Amino acid sequence: MILLNFLAASPSPSPATVPGAGIFTSPLLLSLSIWVPVAVALAVAVMPNPRGRYDVLMKQIAFFANLGLLFILFIAYSQFQSFLPTMQYEEKVPWLTVIGASYHLGVDGPGMTMLMLSGLIGIASVLASLGIRERVRSYFCLLLLTQATINGAIVARDMFVLVLFWASAAIPLAILILGWGGPRRQPAAWRMLAYWGLGTAALAVAAMTLYAVTGGSSFDMDVVLKASITPRIQLVIGLLVLVAAATRLPVFPLHSWFRDAMSEAPVGVAVVVAGSATRLGAYLLLRTLVAAEPAAAQLLSPLIAALAALTVGYAALAALRTADLRHAAAYLALIPGGVTMLGIAAVSPIGIAGAVLSLFAGGLAAALIVGVAATLSERAQSRNLQVLGGLAPRMPTLTWLFIIAALAVLGVPLMATFASELMTFFGAFKTQPIGAFAVAAGLALAAVAFAMLLRRVLFGAPNPDAPGVSDASLGETWYLAILAGGLLWVGLFPGGPKLPGTDAPLFDPGLVNVMSAGISDIASPYTGPSPGGTTP
Amino acid sequence: MPVIVIAPIAAFTIALSSVRTRRSSANLAMIGVVTSMLATLLVGWGLAKRTTPFLASYQYINLPVAFTGPVNFQGFGIDIVLRVDHVTVVALFVVELCLAGALGWHQVMGRSEPGAARFHALVSLLLFGSVGVLVSWDLAEMLAFWGIAGTATYLLLAHRWGSDLAAARARIALVLPFVTDLSLLCGVAWLYARYGVQNLTTLLPILHTNPGWTVRSLVVASILLFIGLAGRLALWPLQSWLTQTSVTAPPAALAMAQATWSVVAIVVMYRVMPVFVASNTQTLQACLYACAVAAVVAPLLSLAGNEPRRAITLLGSGLTAVGAAIVIYGFLVPNATFAIAGVACIFAAAPARAGALLAVSAIAGAMRTDDMAEMGDAWNRMRASALALGLAVGVLALSAVGAMAFALSSRSRLGVALGEAALVIALGALRIFPGVAIGPLRRRRAFEPDRVREAPPPSLGWPYWLALGGAALLVASFIRGWLDFLDGGKHPAPSVTTYVLWAAVVVVGFAIVTLPYVRDKDGALHLSAVAGAWARMAFNTGWRTVDRFLVVPVAAIAVHVDRWIPDGDERVGGAVEASGRLATSGTRLPALPVAIVLAIVLTVVVGLIAPGVFR
Repeated sequence: MILLNFLAASPSPSPATVPGAGIFTSPLLLSLSIWVPVAVALAVAVMPNPRGRYDVLMKQIAFFANLGLLFILFIAYSQFQSFLPTMQYEEKVPWLTVIGASYHLGVDGPGMTMLMLSGLIGIASVLASLGIRERVRSYFCLLLLTQATINGAIVARDMFVLVLFWASAAIPLAILILGWGGPRRQPAAWRMLAYWGLGTAALAVAAMTLYAVTGGSSFDMDVVLKASITPRIQLVIGLLVLVAAATRLPVFPLHSWFRDAMSEAPVGVAVVVAGSATRLGAYLLLRTLVAAEPAAAQLLSPLIAALAALTVGYAALAALRTADLRHAAAYLALIPGGVTMLGIAAVSPIGIAGAVLSLFAGGLAAALIVGVAATLSERAQSRNLQVLGGLAPRMPTLTWLFIIAALAVLGVPLMATFASELMTFFGAFKTQPIGAFAVAAGLALAAVAFAMLLRRVLFGAPNPDAPGVSDASLGETWYLAILAGGLLWVGLFPGGPKLPGTDAPLFDPGLVNVMSAGISDIASPYTGPSPGGTTP
Repeated sequence: MPVIVIAPIAAFTIALSSVRTRRSSANLAMIGVVTSMLATLLVGWGLAKRTTPFLASYQYINLPVAFTGPVNFQGFGIDIVLRVDHVTVVALFVVELCLAGALGWHQVMGRSEPGAARFHALVSLLLFGSVGVLVSWDLAEMLAFWGIAGTATYLLLAHRWGSDLAAARARIALVLPFVTDLSLLCGVAWLYARYGVQNLTTLLPILHTNPGWTVRSLVVASILLFIGLAGRLALWPLQSWLTQTSVTAPPAALAMAQATWSVVAIVVMYRVMPVFVASNTQTLQACLYACAVAAVVAPLLSLAGNEPRRAITLLGSGLTAVGAAIVIYGFLVPNATFAIAGVACIFAAAPARAGALLAVSAIAGAMRTDDMAEMGDAWNRMRASALALGLAVGVLALSAVGAMAFALSSRSRLGVALGEAALVIALGALRIFPGVAIGPLRRRRAFEPDRVREAPPPSLGWPYWLALGGAALLVASFIRGWLDFLDGGKHPAPSVTTYVLWAAVVVVGFAIVTLPYVRDKDGALHLSAVAGAWARMAFNTGWRTVDRFLVVPVAAIAVHVDRWIPDGDERVGGAVEASGRLATSGTRLPALPVAIVLAIVLTVVVGLIAPGVFR
């Protein structure tokens, strides 16, 4: 029945603004992004694999499934109508009519941005997992399921569906860490589950509260997030959503699962968690707090700015003091999340735009720093900063990727993070100047941490007692290059490459153009007069 | 005009994608610089007969973010605005000249440096970034190019991979400029948050008319911008990213970084000065005092210690401070037109600074020491290098004279302060020549003085030509017509007496320094070494204090929090586990009595909480 309803749904809008637009339309574009990975995971799960004979084939299937998914997402991206403030590619099928839950999917600009991030991270995570040798079938099944749940949480337009996908993302990830993680995988997985469970509980309570105060007839976001709610209830919901987001992004002081998970998880899983799974926290905040509860957003913005500043400052300080390379990378991967939070705290149009771009850029930067640190420590056979030293001449590829990751986290020009940081600060200095200064101070501390790491690990004298090292393999180079390439591409062409002398886009309509759809709608409650006092 | 920017980035891209050998990468970088320089000359030729700048604009980001509210904040856009006026074209030429000179020298003298392809690709990137900053007229665009040039500078200064000392010293080259660059970013963001525009053409006219502007907001923006610019100008006390790397970075990289950034940052300062002027007089005065103090302290510090490259770096820092002070003073005094003289002074000093660094690096390399106490006799053994060094430090010492003659009265307080700075700069600059060129070159362990030879002939010309370029620009800075050309205004010519007066200050400095060095070079250098040791000790004490009272406690807090949160998690986990065990053991209890007890407890609790109990 659901399938029939899918087929009866109206087709996606498809403007012909970019060459190639309109060559493929499907009413199920978003469903494909969720259910293709699930279908492939099921197919892999039932495939016969006597004594691991088809392990390589399973890796290839996972890779090509992700490649296909990225292709589908790219079609959705290139056909996206950036001038429409409404949801696009919507699919709506009644599901649990008794409680008013429906299978409602849709994306606006920020959602499309997140989907592209998820697609890139998905393919990078498969490439990063090529080194997996044990229980290959289970590993790739779980990885594909993880991606499906993340995509589901991004495109869900029903609170009930959102909570389901949000909660279910934790299970495959925890199993992946438990099954393929490092020596301290058990506490890492349980801690992650505990924090994500807390966040899920908070989100579920927020969803139930919304459901109750809006009449208890529908979980649809078009109903519950657009209803007029008293500021007091908004504040309660806002706080609950903030807890949910803070456990996922993560934000100080609810971040302690992140270090353990990042240092114990296999590289591919660490890339997914740092890159896309955690960005869901900020995305949730944007979607359910900033876009829906303006009174609560205004009230909570100083708190969010303070949390952003604390996260960035604490992460940099902790990275300075740690003696473990993967721990340091995990801490530094918190910084883009802090910058995103600052953009959200700005609650100004430009700040919100910066936060949305920061979802994409920060996700790639966090995945890159975590991935490169994990690969480097594997290749150097140690993650102890006392042992590692002088690796640059012996692993130039990883050195350059590490430098790119450092520059991306710091928001240096040529990287997508520069544009997002610029917009975030431009917005934040209007409404949260103290928070903006504090985050800038945290970034300065992060520069100190990077300077220490670069000196100790890469540029210093080699340690003669250290184990032998080798540079990145082809697969490792490719997955890291995809992440770095995404950062550089959006950094160089945020508006997409144009035909020379015209405004006509080539194959890429430009991430900032796509993400802008819906931002003016989200930001409409926050377009107050410019700050400042009277003329002296 | 776009070729000026495209040439270096094309060289960088080709270098990244296909060039591996030292010679081809060096040639490619040089082609990028020369092409850019030719395009600059072409644009300069076009500008010679017109007063309006060349302008080209390309859209980079254009993002609608709101449909209501103030118009300035409804959209966000960054335009690549390329604007070349007379000052810009000269600045471009000076930067390209310095990079070409340093590259040419490095092709010969940097043969033993590892990672040639990397080095030359980064030089192209540095040129791209600095050229981009100079032609930028949009503050966000300027920040982007500024960051690119900054990244290239750090990677050039940290070029010697595998050396512990170089890696340790390079840390400061990342951190300190990044902090000041952040300050610049914050300044621009602060301005955007108040005005909603970042194009200077649009911003400057509305500084006092935009709704909601305040003096306080302009003061904050000015201070942030000043810190950002002072960091890259390497004004004392923000010069240590250059002094710390003066020995450990490749000499060509050091020369490029110093020459390029002094020119780039002073031009940006000159452009954003209307923001400072719009704030208030006190802010301008505070910036002026900071520059004046830096102008005196940096050259004084150069007298302490015997490392010639560090000394030249500090002298350059002092000279840049003099130039910056004159620029600020030019905007502070109503109806004054001499601000451009400060810029012209830096234009003259930049090639001389680069030339001096390259020449002294050649001598230090041949004599295998960085201590002037162990150097000597370069005049006999390495005459060409010594001559280039002498010429370069001479130009360096004199380069502030023209600007001071145009801007300062010797009776004013600022005149006295900057005159003092000029005297100390002359002392510091001119002591390097006798320190290196005269006196005996003594035998040391594993060093035979007789084996000291002049640098390879292809490298000899570059420092010399850089010094000559500096000399030409120095002579130009004395001429009124040069300043008229640079800013398109009319400047009153100073009297000959004024020129003579300020030149006399430098000559006095030369005389003061010559006497002790000719009579007792070892004694003079010993005195410098002792002063250097004291200065180092003071710096170390200061750093230890900061470390003791700031860095260690803050880091300890972070470490404690890092332990405390997981410990708390474990305690919560333990409590949850205990409650789970309790619940599990509860299943073994008899159901009916437990239900009765629970019902009684609940009744009592609800009864107590009920409002009737408390009434």
